[in-house]
Amino acid sequence: MLFRVTQESCKQTMKKITIQTSVNSRTHTLEAAPNQTLLDLLRDTLGLTGTKRGCEIGECGACTVLLDGVAVNSCLVLAPQIDGRQITTVEGLANGENLSPLQKAFLDHEAVHCGFCTPGTLLSAKDLLDHNPSPTEHEIRVAISGNLCRCTGYVQIVEAIDEAAQKMRESNE
Amino acid sequence: MRPFEYIGCESIEAAVGALDEYAGDARILAGGTDLLLELRRPGTSSPKAIVDISRISSLRGIASVDGTIRIGPLTTHTELSHSAVIRENAGFLAAAAGAIGSPQIRNRGTIGGNIMNAATCADTVPPLVALGARLTLRSGRAERTIGIDGFFQKPYTTVVQDNEVLTSISFAPCAPTARTAFVKLGRRSALSIARLSVAAVLVRDKQGIITEARIVPGAALPVWKRVNEAETMLIGERASSTLFAAAGRKVSDVMVGLTGRRWSTEYKEPVLAVLVRRSLEGCCSE
Repeated sequence: MLFRVTQESCKQTMKKITIQTSVNSRTHTLEAAPNQTLLDLLRDTLGLTGTKRGCEIGECGACTVLLDGVAVNSCLVLAPQIDGRQITTVEGLANGENLSPLQKAFLDHEAVHCGFCTPGTLLSAKDLLDHNPSPTEHEIRVAISGNLCRCTGYVQIVEAIDEAAQKMRESNE
Repeated sequence: MRPFEYIGCESIEAAVGALDEYAGDARILAGGTDLLLELRRPGTSSPKAIVDISRISSLRGIASVDGTIRIGPLTTHTELSHSAVIRENAGFLAAAAGAIGSPQIRNRGTIGGNIMNAATCADTVPPLVALGARLTLRSGRAERTIGIDGFFQKPYTTVVQDNEVLTSISFAPCAPTARTAFVKLGRRSALSIARLSVAAVLVRDKQGIITEARIVPGAALPVWKRVNEAETMLIGERASSTLFAAAGRKVSDVMVGLTGRRWSTEYKEPVLAVLVRRSLEGCCSE
């Protein structure tokens, strides 16, 4: 990773671009390099390291965030593209010390093992439940199909999302 | 990622202007799901400029007007797979879009990017070829509309000029009695790249006789095309597994005739035949 940073900083001839963006409901005015990704912006500029750097080719889903409420791989979005857009990262899920229903369910079901896939998986699950409060097991599995987990075998994750959906429905009734 | 200039465009005019300005040294950014990988790939040169068209609202959306379905090239695979217009009029295109990558990729990746990138595994292309889609390209000076038949020259190569932007994809909807199917074989069920795929359309009359057939294999031929040799075998016949299997073998023969025998042929030859049969059976299942 050190190599990558050095390589990029040695030839910064491009004009920086000023962007205004809302991250976890806080508005930021930032200078972004044209070749900076949203992932780099979140981790390196804003220090939001909950979003994980995994494959950087859009396959592992560890860097998943919500862009205007929809799950995307932040490694495949250029930072200048988020001007005027809203981003939600894993840091934006809890309300202070109170974990979100999804986060609580992940803990209750031991769906967090090594934890590297967890932030991305939580956001894919949030995208699902925000748009579909009563998903079937198949719909849950499709929703997290872009988040690779090498620890759990997915069973606990699917159960956790199902329970979070139930709890969220109950609390809305 | 190597350095480049970023040009965010709000209009087609601005985009074609930027392409003219950077004459051949610019790349268009739509969903970014292919382009960003390319920009990161070691050993590839970076363009001087990235022309971001993703905010041009006139390039979005799906409309059915006067018997023609028009898809804006920035329509995402998610939008395409959920669209009622596409599901009703070209179900296999919705199915193909829904089979791409992961939810995250489908939320960003666009049909225009899928076409323009011209990868042999592009999932939306076999249905579009079966539909006889027409593609409209705009440059600073002119607009032209061409059939998808003559659009691709070889893998990753199209007839598009450096200063042109894809502005529309249009096709006539399938007949109300037509049934379509898209089958895809990947190495896994999610996030998979098509090793082979087949898009098929069948129309049967009230007596069950096949009156129209279209078969387009994906990731099989040097450029996508309908396999007329197999389609004609079906016309005037009744649906049956034997008939569909024979048509599948014909498609495989055509593939081997066009590509020659290579390392993958031993596998692809029987498997493509089965996928063709399954796609045709898919057109007949309720």
